[in-house]
Amino acid sequence: MNAADLAAVPWWIWPIALFVVSFLIGIVAVLAGVGGGVLFVPVVGSLFPFHLDFVRGAGLMFALAGTLSAGPPLLRAGMASLRLVMPLALVGSVASFAGALVGLSLSTALLQTSLGILIIGIAFVIWYLRSADSTAASADALAALLRLEGQFHDPAVGMTIDWRTHQTLLGLAAFGGIGFLGGVFGLGAGFANVPALNLLMAAPLKVAVGSSGLLISVINSSAAWVYIHRGALLPLIVVPSILGVMLGSRIGALLLGVTPASVVRRLVIVVMLLAGGRALSRGLGWF
Amino acid sequence: MVLNDRALRDLYADWLDVATKAGFVISLVAFLLYVGRVLPPYVALDELPRYWNLPVDQFIRATGAPSGWAWLGELRYGDGLNLLAIAFLGLVTPLCYARLVPALVAERDWLQVLLAVAQLAVLLGAASGLVAG
Repeated sequence: MNAADLAAVPWWIWPIALFVVSFLIGIVAVLAGVGGGVLFVPVVGSLFPFHLDFVRGAGLMFALAGTLSAGPPLLRAGMASLRLVMPLALVGSVASFAGALVGLSLSTALLQTSLGILIIGIAFVIWYLRSADSTAASADALAALLRLEGQFHDPAVGMTIDWRTHQTLLGLAAFGGIGFLGGVFGLGAGFANVPALNLLMAAPLKVAVGSSGLLISVINSSAAWVYIHRGALLPLIVVPSILGVMLGSRIGALLLGVTPASVVRRLVIVVMLLAGGRALSRGLGWF
Repeated sequence: MVLNDRALRDLYADWLDVATKAGFVISLVAFLLYVGRVLPPYVALDELPRYWNLPVDQFIRATGAPSGWAWLGELRYGDGLNLLAIAFLGLVTPLCYARLVPALVAERDWLQVLLAVAQLAVLLGAASGLVAG
């Protein structure tokens, strides 16, 4: 459909379609263990008629709403560590704020092209990365000072795990970079948070996944305000997306135990490659 | 230390839980008032498809939609009220951090107090719009 055809579609079709897409992304994201923003921005940016400025703003709120909603149970289960999140979120939220300012000043073609390259790159990262569950790390001086350690009871294996992190400076730098990219492109960046916490800083995988959600909720709160003040949050786009991801995430959590994770992971990679390829081609003016 | 960590986690979780649920209810009600045309829209719903494919700066010039804090003066419109609901979600995390600070002070955990206050300053600085507006 060309722009004239899209403009002729009744307005109310789009929030309904957004709700359905956000609902489906909410399910798939939980099953695949990725943040929904990494699917939402390229998919909605490619298939819907909205300008990328509004899609990125909605993407930030999409990730923020999902992680705010998931935060309480993760904290109560000990899967999200406040002590681990606080220093990383501080660096990440400053970087994310700066990223949002930069993102809203870049040209659409450059953003589309960069987004396409980033999403395709992330798909390959998800394909290749494996988790590590070593808790044998010895804390460095900064981690010891910040007491980046804790206990986590894993009911799946009936064990209580004592954990501590290391490579804290590298971790802080990583979250600066991740926060910046998240702010530029309106992503939650859970795809990068989990490997940074797990592989780089040696947090146990479940603590990394839980803390990543809490990190996104803090980091995206600062970038979201840039989009609010710039007028880049359209309620007709943002609210159906928020409601859809909330409902979808809950269904996804219910399906988590019965769905083969490897199948969903492959599906996510295929969707990301297609959506990333479309964003790249639009950015380069191929179609 | 573990017990204190758990108490702080639970405190944060309780506030996060209540504030998030309130945010979602407010968002849902505000959205229904907006699309149900109970409140008039600032930018007519039928007109939006002509503008939402524009970059945000052009969108604002074409529609006169508010930016910065100007939407606070447009709460009688459906889209203005929805921005209030969205902004509330943006304030949930600062609210939870603000509740955390006195609890950390009571624990005399000064390094965490410093981190929490610095985070609060960043979030409130972003919310103020002084840099981004």
